[in-house]
Amino acid sequence: MEGCHLHVCNNNRRHTTMAGRRILKAVLVDLSGTLHVEDTAIPGAQEALKRLRSAKVVVRFVTNTTKECRKSLLKRLTGLGFEIGEDEIFTSLTAARNLVEQRNVRPMLLVDDRALPDFEGIAAHSPNAVLIGLAPEHFNYQTLNEAFRLALDGAPIFAIHKARYYKKKDGMALGPGPFVAALEYATDTKAIVVGKPEKTFFLEALRSTGCLPEETVMIGDDCRDDIGGAQDVGMLGILVKTGKYRPGDEDKIQPGPYRTCDGFPQAVDHILSDLL
Amino acid sequence: MHHSAGYVITSGPDPPSCCLSHSVPPVAMAAWAVGVKAVLLDVSGVLYDSGGPAGGTAIPGSVQAVNRIRESGLKLRFCTNESQATRGQFVQKLQKFGFSISEEEVTAPGPAAKKLVVERGLRPHLLVHDDLLPEFDSMDKSNPNCVVMGDAAENFSYQNLNRAFQALLNMEKPILISLGKGRYYKETDGLKLDVGAYMKALEYACDISAEVVGKPSANFFMSALAEMDVKPEEGALTSQVCKKALMIGDDILNDIGGAQRCGIRAVLVRTGKYRPSDENHPDVAADGYVDNLAQAIDLLLSSKVSR
Repeated sequence: MEGCHLHVCNNNRRHTTMAGRRILKAVLVDLSGTLHVEDTAIPGAQEALKRLRSAKVVVRFVTNTTKECRKSLLKRLTGLGFEIGEDEIFTSLTAARNLVEQRNVRPMLLVDDRALPDFEGIAAHSPNAVLIGLAPEHFNYQTLNEAFRLALDGAPIFAIHKARYYKKKDGMALGPGPFVAALEYATDTKAIVVGKPEKTFFLEALRSTGCLPEETVMIGDDCRDDIGGAQDVGMLGILVKTGKYRPGDEDKIQPGPYRTCDGFPQAVDHILSDLL
Repeated sequence: MHHSAGYVITSGPDPPSCCLSHSVPPVAMAAWAVGVKAVLLDVSGVLYDSGGPAGGTAIPGSVQAVNRIRESGLKLRFCTNESQATRGQFVQKLQKFGFSISEEEVTAPGPAAKKLVVERGLRPHLLVHDDLLPEFDSMDKSNPNCVVMGDAAENFSYQNLNRAFQALLNMEKPILISLGKGRYYKETDGLKLDVGAYMKALEYACDISAEVVGKPSANFFMSALAEMDVKPEEGALTSQVCKKALMIGDDILNDIGGAQRCGIRAVLVRTGKYRPSDENHPDVAADGYVDNLAQAIDLLLSSKVSR
């Protein structure tokens, strides 16, 4: 497998063909950093997705991209030449909305304006909860002080995810995680995280497929959130060296990723030749 | 919540372990006040509440309380984590509110950080309040190899935090120096996030631990004691020096917990950022709880008189 490096399961191939072979039925694919970086597709990713779809596996796209509602996400990906259906996308915004409805709270929404359509119909007056996504325009002294006061008075903090940073064209930028960590520290509480790497997120994403975590591979560029999270529920994780990947990321989790590949096309090649 | 004031009425059923039970009038006596020779005062939330166009307002009774400490002959030092201005500007502001205070009496994290940066030959990227910048004027800030952060207030924008984050990412060995690590403090228009929250944000983003200059670090308290010339007597232990000193503050973790870890007694005031839940803190119990600085000084001086 050119471009792929086996990190931990050196004997995986033999292991899977002999005792207790894993039957691969589902592939979860991260979006930002794995299929594309902002408005540019990872070279060869569209083609690779086609090849993956020709195999007998269910594909789901799981994303912590909190900026965009499902509809605009779909539009963007279709525009980049990916063949994807709206019901194949499971986002942390969907997971967050589910939680807000379950708890019956009125959230102060620190999310990007473009994410608001996913919260249509949710009451937000006199808030008694804080919901944090990736919202640089809200991450200022004034707004964070407001969120802090609510949380200090007992409002729960919901974090769409806790990613440390993400890659932009002009370099790395802070994700929502640091701001969640700031509010957690100031109020001496823990946020409830709904996105990757939470176990419930991966299980929810699989629900409509009827597949088990043991029958699933996750492909992503975030070692902790994509690979660590997926492997914690029993999936195999393939780390790709695109997007936010930085050398040495493999060592951030124990056990390490099942595999590390140069990019999404190489990950698909590995799945087709070694896991099916 | 309990409202134990940390002192007992001498005629009450539970006299303190020291021999105060012989004093005659049923005057309020504070066990924590006995033997105190030197007072360390936190500033924000104890002397004044910051914020608003005037830069804040004095807490009632605190101006007089500071004067009474001076008249009593007790040693006095101001031990602050404020980093929104240079020490000079900070003192001028307090003088305007009527406080008797001079620059040499203030232990503040700005100058301490400057010293540390110089000693280690570091080139700082600064994430601080505009008014603190003069403190670092003379320093080489090119190609930074550390980030120094203080209470930057409005300067805590996404863009500025991102710049500090990128500076840390570019360092071979990222060094983050934080002027204090307070969670929040009170301004006239409400509670505000303190530098500690933003320090945690950068720690989390870069997976590092910051070096904290200021309270609650033991170095900071010990240098405050040294600066007020509280010295060990011949053959005495450091721990005995600390027992002569009393810290008065509104921050249960940084003022009270920090001082106590050095063996300094510490009293929490119910002003500033105080919240009733502070009196049931899982990790820290103050040696006493008082309504404000004025009450603390009443108790402190009456204990002095009765001895």
